[in-house]
Amino acid sequence: MFQYALRRLVVAIPMLLGAMSIVFFAMRILPGDPCVAMMGDQATTEALADCTRNLGLQRPLAVQYADYLWRSVQFDFGKSFRHGYPVNEYIIRMFPHTLILVLASAIVAALVGIPTGILSALKRRSPLIDYPIRIIALLGLSMPVFWLGILLLIVFSLRLDLFPLIGGGDLDAVIAMLGSGEAFRYPGDFLAAVGDVLHHLALPAFALGFTLAATVSRLSRSAMLEVVSQDYIRTARAKGQIERAVIYKHALRNMMVPLLTIIGLFVAIALTGTVLTETVFTRPGLGKMLVDAIGSRDYPLAQGAITVFTMTIIAVNLVVDLLYAVVDPRITYR
Amino acid sequence: MQRRIWTRIAIAAVAAILPVLAVVLAPDPPAAEAQRKKVLNIAAKEPDTLDPHMSILGQTQSIKRFMYRGLTRFAIKDGKVTTAEVEPDLAESWTTSAEGTIWTFKLKKGIQFHKGFGEMTAEDVKFSFDRQIQRTPGTRFAEVLETIKSVEVLDPYTVQFQLKAFDPIFLLRVVGYQAGYIVSKKAVEKHGEQYKWNPIGTGPFQFERHSPRDKIVMKAFDKYQGGRPQIDEINWFDVPEDATKLIGLEKGTFDLLYPEAVTADFADQVKKMGAVIDRRGPGGQERFYINMTKPPFDDIRVRKAFMHAIDRKAIKETMYPGGLARLASSCLPPGYFGHVPMTFPEHDPELAKKLLAEAGHPNGLTIKPYFISKSFFYPKVLTLAQEQLKKVGINVELQVVEHATYHENIRKNLNPFVLYGGTRITDADPWLSLFFDGSEIPNPATGNKGTNFAHYKGIDDLLAKGRVERDVKKRAAIYAEAQKRIERDLICLPISDVPSQWARNPKRVSTPFDPEYGEFALHYSYNYPELLKIVN
Repeated sequence: MFQYALRRLVVAIPMLLGAMSIVFFAMRILPGDPCVAMMGDQATTEALADCTRNLGLQRPLAVQYADYLWRSVQFDFGKSFRHGYPVNEYIIRMFPHTLILVLASAIVAALVGIPTGILSALKRRSPLIDYPIRIIALLGLSMPVFWLGILLLIVFSLRLDLFPLIGGGDLDAVIAMLGSGEAFRYPGDFLAAVGDVLHHLALPAFALGFTLAATVSRLSRSAMLEVVSQDYIRTARAKGQIERAVIYKHALRNMMVPLLTIIGLFVAIALTGTVLTETVFTRPGLGKMLVDAIGSRDYPLAQGAITVFTMTIIAVNLVVDLLYAVVDPRITYR
Repeated sequence: MQRRIWTRIAIAAVAAILPVLAVVLAPDPPAAEAQRKKVLNIAAKEPDTLDPHMSILGQTQSIKRFMYRGLTRFAIKDGKVTTAEVEPDLAESWTTSAEGTIWTFKLKKGIQFHKGFGEMTAEDVKFSFDRQIQRTPGTRFAEVLETIKSVEVLDPYTVQFQLKAFDPIFLLRVVGYQAGYIVSKKAVEKHGEQYKWNPIGTGPFQFERHSPRDKIVMKAFDKYQGGRPQIDEINWFDVPEDATKLIGLEKGTFDLLYPEAVTADFADQVKKMGAVIDRRGPGGQERFYINMTKPPFDDIRVRKAFMHAIDRKAIKETMYPGGLARLASSCLPPGYFGHVPMTFPEHDPELAKKLLAEAGHPNGLTIKPYFISKSFFYPKVLTLAQEQLKKVGINVELQVVEHATYHENIRKNLNPFVLYGGTRITDADPWLSLFFDGSEIPNPATGNKGTNFAHYKGIDDLLAKGRVERDVKKRAAIYAEAQKRIERDLICLPISDVPSQWARNPKRVSTPFDPEYGEFALHYSYNYPELLKIVN
């Protein structure tokens, strides 16, 4: 398995380079000048020329490309055109916020989507269980995350005053406490900081997770329906096993393989979903930052963010592939 | 066995929820803190830099005013902040030579920079202007200061500007706005490129910290020349969504909102929650420029038909009902020195059709593709105009693009008429020069990315005359003539004068100025943030 993982990592390098090259050229093909975007309607010809020179955009494209790849190999994505901060610093600060949002929404999606999907499959065509679940799933699928987000904010933040309106909590402090070991020396403070982060995370994770849960539910339902119609399930029932054992021991485990694929795909979907979620909930994060960077033609920032997104998706897919072998002993990697 | 697993899962879930509940049930610490200290919470967008000479973004210009000051400032007269009149700020007084090319400023003594960077002297003033004139990478306003030949330090409290020629608006160029802000030489040299996030000025609030994509914290500056502000601390939150801002205003999370756009719905919601909108004129003007060199608009009859086809009042009222904006009365907005009301062809679709037929377009004409930005007011205004133009036979096939692409395309002259907005220094010269001077005609072949979208050369002589005229009345007459010519040549159709608008919770914050146009709007925010007060 180790060799397989290593091989996959080696294969990931050209994938990553490909993605980085596509981003580099796509950003430049996209109409719109970073200086015009930055300086807006007050820009004069001389100011724009100055700006182009200062950002190094007057250099031939090949030189810019070579410079970008060489820097990226050294994990240096340059400085944001707009804010001047090193892109690395930005990503290090923002990515944890996005990552925990994606993970938390994946957990919400799994906790809500999988049981309801299974229940819906097992109680197929039941007007009291299957139909309501399918209607709610349809609702989740058709409900835009920004609309649900605003609704949640109005009810739980404005009216009930249970959750904060903006921000992501002091995640920097949590990470710093973990890094310095203070988390163990001052567990009370650490728990309070974690609580604050979770407090800020709850509504956005639910908003994003709920819309994802709808898809998970529908896919779990069809996966379960497929599994329960297999011969080995019929055999298990014929052997006289109780229904609970049939479902938990035989059906559930066999539906895990397609479900894992879905969850892997979900990380990619959730990453794109963070854009709107971070905007509505005013959370710091990479998703919103990426869209802003593309809109303002902030090449270094967009390139850096997309590279991190690509790396995340590659890593998640690798983990999912490795997990196949864990849930299904018939799968082996050589 | 199964039951035991479920019990464990339930315990784990409760353990995970406990810290959340603990925080939920605990009192809100920022709110409690805000009550002790006088904390002002502002929902706006994140500025791109805190170096005052490096950005023209609205949110950046707004926040600069909290931290920086200039030699002069816009005068407060009869309880209102004026537009084109200035009074001393960091300067105590000034004199000018007989020919008007040498300006000598005496600085106030004892003005301190933030964070112990010492007393402001003539060296800092010289440095602040020189870095822009010498086009230090990133600085934006060299063109505004092009009139300056040199800046000399005569003594620590006296600085002299030598101009290339007489400049009638020199005092406006050094006002505390964009190019005129004074930075600490020592701080810029110390922080280098990182100065943009380590700003040191002489304004009423000093920078404390910046959490990217979250907030900027500023604190009252004890040694501010006008006395310490009443507000202790300002949190400038990065809130991109107007809907979130409104919820925050109602909840009390924010006291002031800098909205992306004030729509009728936004204004209604603000009113319903008992908040007010502070309107500062003249704000930005939304207007059409017609490229008089591009067929078919090179024919004045087609331009006239275009203007007769557009119902300006209908667009203004749809976009900004009632007091949300004013119907524009001139291509040089009111509040700018030299403004006179102009007349424009009345809305008359039948006449427009007749003119088009006369010009050889009896079956109308089609413009495609017509590029329009997907941001701000652009798509809405253009869609309304598109409908009106269609009624007279001018079919505009829109292609909605990113804002940056829009800017690029209009400078490539791809649109025969251009929708545009903006605010400038409040004098006819900079405004008319940027939009109607022949040297500002955009040309992709030469790389000229100017903003004379009408490709107009009809007032170049007047602009040159106005720049050397010292008599105020004669200058005003020159610009009145310029507006007449623009009116005659039918190249500009202004629609709305949109004030700069912020929503304020009056139960929390007060301003001494009338919410209805009590202030001028160059900074997109309050001119004198030190006068804002927390009322409870």
